[in-house]
Amino acid sequence: MVFSYNWLKQYVKLPKPEKLAQVLTMHSFEVEEIKKVGKDYVLDIDVLPNRGHDCLSHWGVAREISAILDRDLEPLKRKRLKKEKGEIGLINLKIKCPKLVPRYSAIVVEGVKVGPSPKWLKEKIESVGLRSINNIVDLTNYVMLEIGQPLHAFDYDKIQGHQMILRESKNGERLVTLDDSSHTLDKGMLVIEDKNRLIDLVGIMGGKLTEIDLKTKNIVLQAGNFDRQTIYKAVKKLNHRTEASNIYSQGIDPNLTISTLERTYFLLTKLGEGKIVQIIDFYPKKVQPKKIKLDLNYVEKLLGIKIPGKEVKRILERLGLKIKNCKLKILNVVVPTFRLDISLQEDLIEEIGRIYGYEKIPSTFPVVSLIPPRRNFGIFWEDATKNILKELGFTEVYNYSFIGEKEAKIFGYEGKGIIEVENPMSKEQRYLRPNLIPNLLKNVVDNFRYFDEIKIFELGKIFRGQEKQMLSGLIAQKKGGDEFYRLKGVVDSLLNKLGISDIWYDEHKATPEQSKIFIWQSGKIAEIKIGNEEIGFLGEISSKILKNGKAIVFDIDFEELTKICSEEHEYQPISQYPAAVRDLAILVPTDIKVVDVLNKINIAGGVLIRDVDLFDIYEGESIAQGKKNLAFHIVYQAENRTLKSKEIDAIQNKIIKTLEKKPDWEVRR
Amino acid sequence: MRKPLKIETKKDTFDVTVPGQKHEIGHLHPLTLVKRKIEEIFQAMGFSVIEGFEVENEWYNFDALNIPKDHPARDMWDTFYLKNGKLLRTHTSPVQIRYMEKHQPPFRIIVPGRIFRHEATDASHETNFYQIEGLMVGKDISAANFKAIIQEFLSRFFAKQIKTRLRPSFFPFTEPSFEVDMTCLVCNGKGCSTCSRTGWIELMGAGMVHPNVLKAGGINPKNWQGFAFGIGMDRLAMMKYKINDVRLFYSSDLRFLEQF
Repeated sequence: MVFSYNWLKQYVKLPKPEKLAQVLTMHSFEVEEIKKVGKDYVLDIDVLPNRGHDCLSHWGVAREISAILDRDLEPLKRKRLKKEKGEIGLINLKIKCPKLVPRYSAIVVEGVKVGPSPKWLKEKIESVGLRSINNIVDLTNYVMLEIGQPLHAFDYDKIQGHQMILRESKNGERLVTLDDSSHTLDKGMLVIEDKNRLIDLVGIMGGKLTEIDLKTKNIVLQAGNFDRQTIYKAVKKLNHRTEASNIYSQGIDPNLTISTLERTYFLLTKLGEGKIVQIIDFYPKKVQPKKIKLDLNYVEKLLGIKIPGKEVKRILERLGLKIKNCKLKILNVVVPTFRLDISLQEDLIEEIGRIYGYEKIPSTFPVVSLIPPRRNFGIFWEDATKNILKELGFTEVYNYSFIGEKEAKIFGYEGKGIIEVENPMSKEQRYLRPNLIPNLLKNVVDNFRYFDEIKIFELGKIFRGQEKQMLSGLIAQKKGGDEFYRLKGVVDSLLNKLGISDIWYDEHKATPEQSKIFIWQSGKIAEIKIGNEEIGFLGEISSKILKNGKAIVFDIDFEELTKICSEEHEYQPISQYPAAVRDLAILVPTDIKVVDVLNKINIAGGVLIRDVDLFDIYEGESIAQGKKNLAFHIVYQAENRTLKSKEIDAIQNKIIKTLEKKPDWEVRR
Repeated sequence: MRKPLKIETKKDTFDVTVPGQKHEIGHLHPLTLVKRKIEEIFQAMGFSVIEGFEVENEWYNFDALNIPKDHPARDMWDTFYLKNGKLLRTHTSPVQIRYMEKHQPPFRIIVPGRIFRHEATDASHETNFYQIEGLMVGKDISAANFKAIIQEFLSRFFAKQIKTRLRPSFFPFTEPSFEVDMTCLVCNGKGCSTCSRTGWIELMGAGMVHPNVLKAGGINPKNWQGFAFGIGMDRLAMMKYKINDVRLFYSSDLRFLEQF
């Protein structure tokens, strides 16, 4: 809200505008801007959301200033409401929803003269950026900006049947407000109806039908207190914010209504206008001040600084609080009803701390027992995984947690446990990502503009029914070679480094359901398994999804993985006896899997085989159609002796014999 | 990644200015680097690192944190709601409650994590970003203790002496509440365009844990007190690496990521 420097000056002695802005920022609210306007300065003060009820007003901010600077606050001049005999009939007010109206006060004033505002009023209104309309409307605005209690003036003679019914709206009722905008109401908003028509959108804006104009002679001046939540919901629904609705949405002190009318009446008589002919005050349940016991020891314990009791008292009194029969270290504080935000000791301590000055609080390290932090294994394995992938040449990306309608369709996620956002920012963010791959593929397309090969990974949450941490990565090439085995090696290295050894890859047998989804290039997909557990997939992305270029992707359930990861590692004794290497090349049909050959070698070779290493796969020229050549290094080594050449030959021959039992397998010699 | 330099010289010529062979290495995301740094500093001060859910419910995200229903205060957090009735957490604070439910004080934790805001994006706003929550509860943990811890953290993080100041603020889950400013890194507090000539940069919200929050977490506020804070990690990373657009973090642009 914007505040006028000259206006504030009426109530309390002010320092220079810059200094004022600085003290307010450090003790109350941030001053976002100071602007010089003519002979005045305008301060844009960001009143905190819990102080709207008392500080969206010049008087309220002046009280803050008086507390901060320890200066006197000028009291507001009021005039007691006194009913006089009048010519006009009484207003008949009915409140049909008393639970939503803690208080309703109004005065009916006869014989006002509507005209231009006097100079002082016009200046004040214009100094905070409002347009001067006429003396009556300006006065209601002035008093609201001064005290923070919204007011509304009705043209008495436009109210049909002298009747005002305050009630909840019905569905579909319509009303035009003072700003000429037309509203269609929902059920449960507050309205005032005269004999025939709706005349006020209560707490938000008055109705056009009873607007004050130059012919207005008699007015109803209303200062109401309405249910906070009802007003707030209506404002949101109608998307119609006003200064008054901002105040009402936050709640306001019901004890303000009459004193505000008294202030208005004082100013009205200063304008020389009218007499009160009716006073309405509906106030079934009077709100009383709260009492809080304040322990000075607790003030010190919470803030970490000792503030003298005298100073504490001064601060609270300057803020309008009262202190009664204080004992040594305990103050009995009475909180006036205009401070709705204060109900606990902690609330008082905040008031004391900020007015005293947070800058005076020293920096003191806590004195605590030496409890070492708990180790977070999830984060430990996250860090380890990221480091390994980085060392393997992969770059980490962070993508949005959303995917769009298009991706959901292409990847076939629609309707399958995918979580939809109620209020998405755009079509591109309609769903929570059920998988990391769609966004990674988007990264590929984006980066292909600058790079021919892309190696990226992401470790993040996906959402399918429940949230789950996944690890996905890919190698993508613009002009694709076959990188499947390269990425398989990456997965092997990663898992090995995480202390996992029994990794194997199984052919993926898609269920008919899954095969409708074309994300994987047919046939080029493997299940990554550890022991009996499937922990993810490794495969090539279908050319239907990634049109230019090729991408091999791994997708691993990271939560499962971290359950298996291990820091334990046992040293294997290094054999003191030399190892011998023999090569073996074999021609097999192209559909034979390498693992079948390896298994036969290992079984036939027995314990003396230390390692078998595939170093070449060849198909093509000089090899028969339908065959491929596999070449292995076989490493022989014993724990307890040097193997003799003869011994090795014998095992090698045994292997060859075993392999050649298959009719179409041929070991090359 | 360029192909390795091929060197075939006839004689045994030696030239120290020939560029070394390039080796392929990957890169960690700048937010990962910043997160690790933060965790390292707080762990050294005895804080445990805790994580939580990104999909939360209204109770943990709002009600338990003393943020009333149908109150303008709730509008401080623009929220993504989900069709399954849950929501995307708007801060890491729900973890405060989840942690308190299972642990008795004294404790000190930090909670790094991804959070979500339903806001139009620009150079300083994103729909998802990262926050580090801090919570320390003990018999007599005070605002003065908070000041010391946060100053130590910032000085270590930026590797120079950092001054902070606390200003009044409002958060429903802390009382008193503070806005924490630190000396502007660009001008060292003299005043420049980065800090709107104030010499200070607004950094985070903090405060003393509200008794209602302790109660919601099953802790008796008569016996325990403490502080909580929430820092934007993206903002710290932007200050540390002088990045001027938060959207770069989520662009996956390798020309950006390969600089880290």
